[in-house]
Amino acid sequence: MINANRIRRILPPLAFGVAFLSLWEGVVRGFDLKPYFLAAPSKIFEQFFKNFARIWDATSVSGSNALIGLIAGTVFGVAMSFMLSRYRFLGELVTPLAIALNAIPIFVLVAVLNNMYSITSEIPRRIMVSLVVYFIVLVNVAKGLTQVQSTHVELMKSYAASDFAILRKVRVPNAVPYLFTALKIAAPVSVITAFVSEYFGGSQNGLGSRITSNIANSKNAAAWAYVLGACLLGLTFYAVSIVLESAASRGGVASKTNNNK
Amino acid sequence: MSAVQVTGVSKIFNQGTPKQVDALIDVNLTVEPGEFVSLIGPSGCGKSTLLRLIANLLEPTTGSITVNGKSASQSRLDQDYGMAFQQAGLFDWRTVAKNIELPLELKGWDKEKRAARAQEMLELVKLPEFAEMYPWQLSGGMQQRIAIARALAAHPPLLLMDEPFGALDEMTREYMQGELLRICAETSTTVVFVTHSIPEAVYLSNRVVVMSPRPGRITNLIDVNLGAKRTEDTRAAADFFTGITAVREALRGTHADHANAGAVRGVEDR
Repeated sequence: MINANRIRRILPPLAFGVAFLSLWEGVVRGFDLKPYFLAAPSKIFEQFFKNFARIWDATSVSGSNALIGLIAGTVFGVAMSFMLSRYRFLGELVTPLAIALNAIPIFVLVAVLNNMYSITSEIPRRIMVSLVVYFIVLVNVAKGLTQVQSTHVELMKSYAASDFAILRKVRVPNAVPYLFTALKIAAPVSVITAFVSEYFGGSQNGLGSRITSNIANSKNAAAWAYVLGACLLGLTFYAVSIVLESAASRGGVASKTNNNK
Repeated sequence: MSAVQVTGVSKIFNQGTPKQVDALIDVNLTVEPGEFVSLIGPSGCGKSTLLRLIANLLEPTTGSITVNGKSASQSRLDQDYGMAFQQAGLFDWRTVAKNIELPLELKGWDKEKRAARAQEMLELVKLPEFAEMYPWQLSGGMQQRIAIARALAAHPPLLLMDEPFGALDEMTREYMQGELLRICAETSTTVVFVTHSIPEAVYLSNRVVVMSPRPGRITNLIDVNLGAKRTEDTRAAADFFTGITAVREALRGTHADHANAGAVRGVEDR
């Protein structure tokens, strides 16, 4: 029964994907589209396996930048959200700056950061990813720490609980699902940020720069093969964030959202 | 020694600003140990404010409050009372048993003593098999029973309840009223109970405190003569209806200044 259900769930999107790729292949062949206009999926897969080692290298570079940035951004974001929820006036000090930072196209900061470090440094990209992740985590976790049920707070006060006890037993557990929501948003965004940061100079070793250089050399199918790598990396990050979420809240709040909704 | 002694208490919010609200003016109330007292009145009459003052979640602007002979703040620090709200306010990330243990954790009880007390409380509210479940797996009435179990876990002499059955359907509500009376009788707990419902106030209470708004004050104290033991038959007894009529008339009186107010707004008449 479970297997039949699973097949029923997986089959339609799988069939759709196959149909889409077949249509793509058919259009490219049928209209005899030139490879520099649109590469056929078969050619893309061919390039993907032919260049697998190089794609893997580029993926590791972009992937580790994304991962390091994701971890650093999460750590700083969580730390700052604790500060903000404890000292409300800090929020008033920091919020305008945060809005200002968010209002500029944040990627252009990479160009500025690149000037601060040596040309081969990966640090500017990692800082970039951290910054983007930091805001996502900060906003969500701060919400989780502050938006607790008023009944819960009154109840804790009626137990003569200290602020620290309220933090530990009410605010932090309340914020945990918010952290994982933030990570689910931040994980794919960290990968995208890592790619796009590569467009602004620095070492030409990541997926983003490989895609541009292949397009510049009219190696369209190879560029698409790197796009495929990028896509797989993003999916991996997203999948890991979901696995982490269900592992962290087994039986608790997460399964509530799964069961009831 | 009275369970609760409220003397000359006023509560004014935003004093001296254009948004000043006289929530309570010169309130005096004595609740004796073992008594069940309901506070009833239309919205804005300050009944929830009065409950929060007794709980020391708010400080009175003037006047004094003692609970079990101690100041309200001292009795809060000593966890001399348990509290239940309209929302059960259970923690979704804790099992039912761990929810009941929360006040005991904050009192620094050790693990085994806590677990034993939680089980005892679950039996008191007749839900012993639900210890390891999560609150969201329970119905609204069950959640409210767990909230009562939690409020009474530390065996406080006083239970403060703010419309605890307000969100339940009528049948569950009547069942819960019976259960509450049984639990309070078994644990000899004093109760101060805020409600919107006239029959609920009469069915549960030894005394009904009728309050009126703008400014919030006590207008009537009505004794309910239904005896100590109340059953489902009580709901059909003549004294029950006498009590309901007395409370209803007292509530109408609170609206005498609203010339043509036929019905009492904000109070359920069912």
